[in-house]
Amino acid sequence: MTDFPNTGQPRQSLLNLDDRTKKRNAAEARFKAYGIAAIVTAMLALAILLSSVVANGSSAFRQTFITIDVPLDADKLDKSGVRDLDVMKKVTTIGYAKLLREGLLNAITDAGIDTSLSDKEIATLISKEAPATVRNSVLANPSLVGETLTFDLLASGRIDGYYKGRVTLESAALDGNTSPEALMLADALKAEGLITTRFNWNFLTAPDASDQRPEAAGLGVAILGSLYMMLVVLFLALPIGVAASIYLEEFAPKNRWTDVIEVNISNLAAVPSIVYGILGLAIFINFMHFNQSSPLVGGLVLTLMTLPTIIISTRAALKSVPPSIRDAALGVGASKMQSVFHHVLPLAAPGILTGTIIGLAQALGETAPLLLIGMVAFVREYPAAYTENAGLFGEAATALPVQVYNWTQRADPGFVERASGAIITLLVFLLIMNAVAIFLRRKFERRW
Amino acid sequence: MEDMYHMDRAMMTQQDTKISAKGVQVYYGDTHAIKDVDVEIADKTVTAFIGPSGCGKSTFLRCINRMNDTIDVARVSGDIRIDGEDIYDPRVDPVQLRAKVGMVFQKPNPFPKSIYDNVAYGPKIHGLARNKADLDEIVEKALRRGAIWDEVKDRLDAPGTGLSGGQQQRLCIARAVATEPEVLLMDEPCSALDPIATAQVEELIDDLRQRYSVVIVTHSMQQAARVSQKTAFFHLGNLVEFGDTDKIFTNPEDPRTESYISGRIG
Repeated sequence: MTDFPNTGQPRQSLLNLDDRTKKRNAAEARFKAYGIAAIVTAMLALAILLSSVVANGSSAFRQTFITIDVPLDADKLDKSGVRDLDVMKKVTTIGYAKLLREGLLNAITDAGIDTSLSDKEIATLISKEAPATVRNSVLANPSLVGETLTFDLLASGRIDGYYKGRVTLESAALDGNTSPEALMLADALKAEGLITTRFNWNFLTAPDASDQRPEAAGLGVAILGSLYMMLVVLFLALPIGVAASIYLEEFAPKNRWTDVIEVNISNLAAVPSIVYGILGLAIFINFMHFNQSSPLVGGLVLTLMTLPTIIISTRAALKSVPPSIRDAALGVGASKMQSVFHHVLPLAAPGILTGTIIGLAQALGETAPLLLIGMVAFVREYPAAYTENAGLFGEAATALPVQVYNWTQRADPGFVERASGAIITLLVFLLIMNAVAIFLRRKFERRW
Repeated sequence: MEDMYHMDRAMMTQQDTKISAKGVQVYYGDTHAIKDVDVEIADKTVTAFIGPSGCGKSTFLRCINRMNDTIDVARVSGDIRIDGEDIYDPRVDPVQLRAKVGMVFQKPNPFPKSIYDNVAYGPKIHGLARNKADLDEIVEKALRRGAIWDEVKDRLDAPGTGLSGGQQQRLCIARAVATEPEVLLMDEPCSALDPIATAQVEELIDDLRQRYSVVIVTHSMQQAARVSQKTAFFHLGNLVEFGDTDKIFTNPEDPRTESYISGRIG
């Protein structure tokens, strides 16, 4: 009765695996193994990267200070005798350096430390930045003149490096900027409690410093510049991007033109960022004459770069809102715009916010276009958000990733930890932004 | 009972035509979805559109409140009038039309908002309420008409999406009647509901007939027979037969109708 051909094979027991099943199971196990191997490799690479950055950079957040009493002699600092600022400004940092040396020598004598170093060599323990720090505080408060004040002064890069393990007695012997005796003197001062190493807010607030004084270099200007640029990007890219996506997704007719626009937006997202830098240089600086190196131009360039990302993610978020919601709104007589703004947009908001923050994070880490518009400049002055002359965000600034790039090019080994510290700072900002994105998505996500 | 039935019939024949369609053609791109449909839909009547999948009954329904306008490739020609006014006249704003012609969809689609806001949304955008008390009253009335008031009156702030499927669909009906429409279009309103919820919605449809002209698309012939007074049978984009429901189901004129009803096609 049966139509099936008799293959003559014995009946297969379910308790024994046949060859085909074994093969398929093996293939599955292999595939899983590949996946796990890939993930392990990726995690390992990430761990190595992070641990090397943290190992190199965490020391940037600690700094060595020398605590000494500085005699602010009135006859040396103020020849006018009436605290006339114009006269006091004539005393340069060289004049102050002499006072600092005097203070340090006094401290050494008071502590009863013997050293074979000359006075000039002893002075190299103090950073070249320290006289400027003292001078600034005196000029800010002329009444200090004549008193003897206790200052926490930056130790020089070599002494700082010695306590961070970068400089050793052996390397100091070969170093023209320091000597083993200087390090031993530092040890003696540390034993007296005059040299301390502690958390360094200056790294986050101070401006950049010149090649000879890595111990003074900070990220203040770079963080401010990045912040200004993010504000520009947020206030331009978010409204423009969201408006463009809403129009394209909800209102635009689907025809050849919108197809062309769509393809081009996708292409723009893939354009190398340096091309946007050239565009910014040509348009914003050469043609529109905005200030070079300004966060405004940087922000505009990054806006152009971020727009495609925001548009693509916003359109995806709008697309993911079920059409039944649009039907429901139109069905009760809402206009197209009401249905979009009352119903579709609130549902798409978490996706839009996530896309925007990821776009911002991408912009925050972007270096290449900023190099072209001159944000790589050495900037000591904190940029003001608005000035009469330069306009909004028009004063020269630099940016976090550019600062990293900048510091990695400096010769002094003290800048290695600074660059790694800047990378850590940048990564922390990116992590915070991503965490905010995840938080917002969780908070506003609604089910339907 | 029998008397009432006849009275119903008698009343119906006197009733005015609410919607009148003549020579309606719908194209989706190159597809001719609706071919030359003429139909007269009476006021205060439930009219059922039946037919196999893809026969064009939903498409035709969506012509009546111009929901097809939202589909780029759809083209509608011919003449559809509500109370004698051409709804495809260039002067007609589809938004205004849709306030007059409410719609309930196949899948319950409450807004992801509170029950109250779901119902209040339509009256709000059409400016039907002058103040909060007005709006409260409109919402309560609509929810009562949607036969869901007793179930939700204590939790108007709860999300509409948290209700059961049948409750959601009745909420959607309440939302549709809140704007005081004159015509209510229902596109397979019970296809996602279980038999108990279906029975509740059908009972509701029968109530709604007293106020509105109800047009319902359904796949269930039993449902069409239960709730409607008039039935239109669509097949391959043509309106094959239109007439009194009991006649269509007991004594159809067209052989195609008979085949469909007896389950031979579809």
